[in-house]
Amino acid sequence: MTTAYAATETPIVKLVNVDKDYELGTVIVPALRDVSLSIAAGEFTVIAGPSGSGKTTLLNLIGCVDIATRGSVIIDGSDTKVLKDKQLTELRLRSLGFIFQSFNLVGVLDAFDNVEFPLLLQGKLSKADRRERVMVLLRQLGIEQYSHHRPGELSGGQRQRVAIARALVTEPRIVLADEPTANLDSKTGNSILDSMQELNARGTTFLFSTHDPRVVSRAGRVIRLVDGEIADHNATAEDVAQLAAAAHAA
Amino acid sequence: MILIRIALRNLRGHWVKGLIVGGLLFLGAALVVVGLSLLSTIDRSMAKSIVGSVSGNLQVYAKDAKDKLTLFAGMTDGTEIGHVEDFAKVRQTLEAVPGVKAVIPMGTDVAMVYGGNVLDVKLDQLRAAEKGKDKDKSKVVRAHVRKMVGLLAKDLDRMSDLRAVKNMSDETKQAIADVKQGGSDAFWASFDKDPFTALEFLENKVAPLGLNADMIWFRYIGTDLDRFASNFELFEVVDGTQVPKGQRGFLFNKLTYEETIKHRTARRFDKIRDRLAEGFTLKRDEDLQQWRKLNKDQMREITYQLDDRTEPMVRQFLQKHLDNSASAIEVLLAQFMDINDDNFGARYTAFYAGIAPHLMLYSVKIGDVMTMKGFTSAGYPTTVNVKVYGTFRFKSLDKSMMAGGMNLIDLMSYRDLYGFLTADRKEELAKLQAQSGVKPPSHDRAEADLFADADDEVEELPRAATVVAANEVGKTNSEWPAAVAAAPAVESGFDEFAKVDMKASAKKYGEDLFGRVYAQPDIDGGVVRNAAILLHNGIDERQAKLAVQKACNDHKLGLQVMDWREASGMIGQFLFVIYAVLAGSLFIIFFTAMVIINNSTVLATMERTREIGALRAIGAQRSYIRKMFFVEGLVLALLFGSLGSAFGGLVVAFFNAKGIAAFNDVFVFLFAGPRLYPTMSFTHVVVALVVVTVVTLFSTLYPAWLATRVTPLQAMQDAE
Ligand SMILES: Nc1ncnc2c1ncn2[C@@H]1O[C@H](COP(=O)(O)OP(=O)(O)OP(=O)(O)O)[C@@H](O)[C@H]1O
Ligand SMILES: [Mg+2]
Repeated sequence: MTTAYAATETPIVKLVNVDKDYELGTVIVPALRDVSLSIAAGEFTVIAGPSGSGKTTLLNLIGCVDIATRGSVIIDGSDTKVLKDKQLTELRLRSLGFIFQSFNLVGVLDAFDNVEFPLLLQGKLSKADRRERVMVLLRQLGIEQYSHHRPGELSGGQRQRVAIARALVTEPRIVLADEPTANLDSKTGNSILDSMQELNARGTTFLFSTHDPRVVSRAGRVIRLVDGEIADHNATAEDVAQLAAAAHAA
Repeated sequence: MILIRIALRNLRGHWVKGLIVGGLLFLGAALVVVGLSLLSTIDRSMAKSIVGSVSGNLQVYAKDAKDKLTLFAGMTDGTEIGHVEDFAKVRQTLEAVPGVKAVIPMGTDVAMVYGGNVLDVKLDQLRAAEKGKDKDKSKVVRAHVRKMVGLLAKDLDRMSDLRAVKNMSDETKQAIADVKQGGSDAFWASFDKDPFTALEFLENKVAPLGLNADMIWFRYIGTDLDRFASNFELFEVVDGTQVPKGQRGFLFNKLTYEETIKHRTARRFDKIRDRLAEGFTLKRDEDLQQWRKLNKDQMREITYQLDDRTEPMVRQFLQKHLDNSASAIEVLLAQFMDINDDNFGARYTAFYAGIAPHLMLYSVKIGDVMTMKGFTSAGYPTTVNVKVYGTFRFKSLDKSMMAGGMNLIDLMSYRDLYGFLTADRKEELAKLQAQSGVKPPSHDRAEADLFADADDEVEELPRAATVVAANEVGKTNSEWPAAVAAAPAVESGFDEFAKVDMKASAKKYGEDLFGRVYAQPDIDGGVVRNAAILLHNGIDERQAKLAVQKACNDHKLGLQVMDWREASGMIGQFLFVIYAVLAGSLFIIFFTAMVIINNSTVLATMERTREIGALRAIGAQRSYIRKMFFVEGLVLALLFGSLGSAFGGLVVAFFNAKGIAAFNDVFVFLFAGPRLYPTMSFTHVVVALVVVTVVTLFSTLYPAWLATRVTPLQAMQDAE
């Protein structure tokens, strides 16, 4: 827990004075206000905060699937504001890995094909290399034997592992996950977190959003969001738990 | 490729939708293959029919012609296609064009013969018997004639009862009176006193009103018969012989001969036999029942031809065959004609064994000299006597009236009939006109008379027999244009003939010409109306057409060139009709397929929004998403397109083995035979696949576009 807000090396993710407004008809809903942060390689960061605080919004901006209203979002050296859809897509493919809350696997493809898919999109590796890389990941995540199962034939936890493998297979600079354990029971959730921590230990950068205290407790760093603003860049798990308990009591 | 795998798996995942859409594509592809193979086969067979029978590959005719040349468009009356003044020069010039095998002169027209007036025939016999003082023969024939006149008088009585007598013209009243007189005892009692005056009376006043004195109209082509026969590969002599080289003569088309010259009852027996052989039954089929009824109703066609000698023979035969002791021939015939599916075989054999030998089976026999009447180009009535040498057919087109309505006459007789003054004729005609002082009728009037409304004429003409005959000709020859089918009921158009004794003069004119042999320069050196050009095998028609047109222009022949497709008129366009029907059904199928594909794919896009969003989020470009949909369409199209094509191929193969029966004579002609054996080519399959693919891709355009609009954000939201 030594990582400070101002990391010495070039951050993978850097947000400067970011605002995000949603327009609901004529009403403007400010979802993020004046958010500045940076994330360095190898971090295991959790964005915590109550419902509606702007966690998902923040992740979407970092994930290059949405654009900030004001301020700049710099991912892997590129300012997302100036990029076109095509370049944003390339950036996602090259630098980011996504783990979705509801997995979003391609239903008609088996686990292996799903994991291989981003590699096919990249088109850089030979068939043998792809196979090698996919199988290594599946093995690490303990689902090697399910490589020929379709998502529909897998449990929630197994599916999420497949999703994780898919997010990691391109060796992205950073893996984003919006509440990755929300659709899993606690036991499965824990085992998934174990896997992720293990991968983090080998160097993969993770950025999660969650309001699950158990997830928070495993984080290397916790960014606390309240009403669209960063309340704490490096909160402790205890802080979060206390705040959550207080909110619950209130 | 992963996209194909996704496509296939998606297809399997939505197999109900896949089956519906696939089924339509399958059907469409099969229809394209079958349709195209049918079309191309028909195109080929039609080409064979048309090129090999009368058209040749190309036709030339006068450039300044008012109308377009149409070989199969029914009668040529009224179509003015001009003349080719000097055929010899045309032949010489065009046969020098590379690729041209032969140039055959032609002229198509219609003519008429009086068919089968038995009374005429019997009166001739009676006259001969009287001349030869053959008492026995005279007695038999006289009885027959008297019987016929009696029957005629009865018919006329019945007619005048039916019609308002006050409407009857004096002429008509006189005619009835004449016939009655011809049937009276007093007339026959005095016959021996002056048999020739009596005969004349019968010949001139009574016979023209007789039964079967119907005019038989037919189309003929005047041509160089030798070169026609050797160059049109479908031509084949059936009965008799080809007209001797260079001589005048006529060849009936076998079908025309059977349909219009044969004794009607016998012809109906033939037709009943043929139709039963095709699997129809008298119990069910209306045509068969109609023919049976006609045979029963028109028994007179038989009784009229029986005389005192033959009637007892037929009576006895029928009594034995039917095991009925009735003595009235009408009763026996009525029972005999009451055929059914069980007894027809025996009746057919019996008819030809016991009845037909006593009938005049053909009103014009092979070897007869026949008097053809027609109009010249200017509207003059003309008459030419010509010897019938035989019948011919166009191979495998026997059953088609399209080709079966074409009879052949030598070019010399044709020029006479059509009024192109040959040297022979010029002199003769001058003499004829000087004799009679008849002013030739104008062309307009001749036509107006010829095509006057048949019903009006019938009111005035109490010719029961003619009317009956006319009605029937109208029916059996329904393939002929209505105006001509109706024409036999019209006699007034030929008043001109009545005033000139053309028969006698033409006979004289004709007799010394029958033996004459014309040299090729005589045949070629004269007027024709058009000419068929036959090409050597493997010569490109389009290029040859250009070359021929160039030669015509270069040598100032004043001719225009047409390919067989144009020249055949409606029938040549028929292919486009089939094509339109095919295109129409394909349009319906493919349009339905498009709507369904579009709708179901739009639905699928909506269902897969999250998946698509996720793919976009992990780095799939819009173009990739679009590709994904197209590949799915392509897989669907190729899969079901190939299956459909294969099925279409099977259907074609099945029909190729069994053949498709021609429903009517137009199809016999199109099929170049009674059955079509379609073949297919690789191109048909390619076309089917391309069409199916284009249709499918086109219908995925919109859903694919929709899919590219899905944002990655749409994958981020939690599934509710
Ligand atoms: N598409 C949208 N249109 C309008 N307002 C939105 C939209 N998405 C989010 N918001 C609003 O923005 C704010 C932040 O929402 P966000 O989804 O980022 O919160 P969150 O912290 O992820 O909450 P939760 O824990 O419930 O997922 C909320 O007030 C929400 O109502
Ligand atoms: Mg959220």
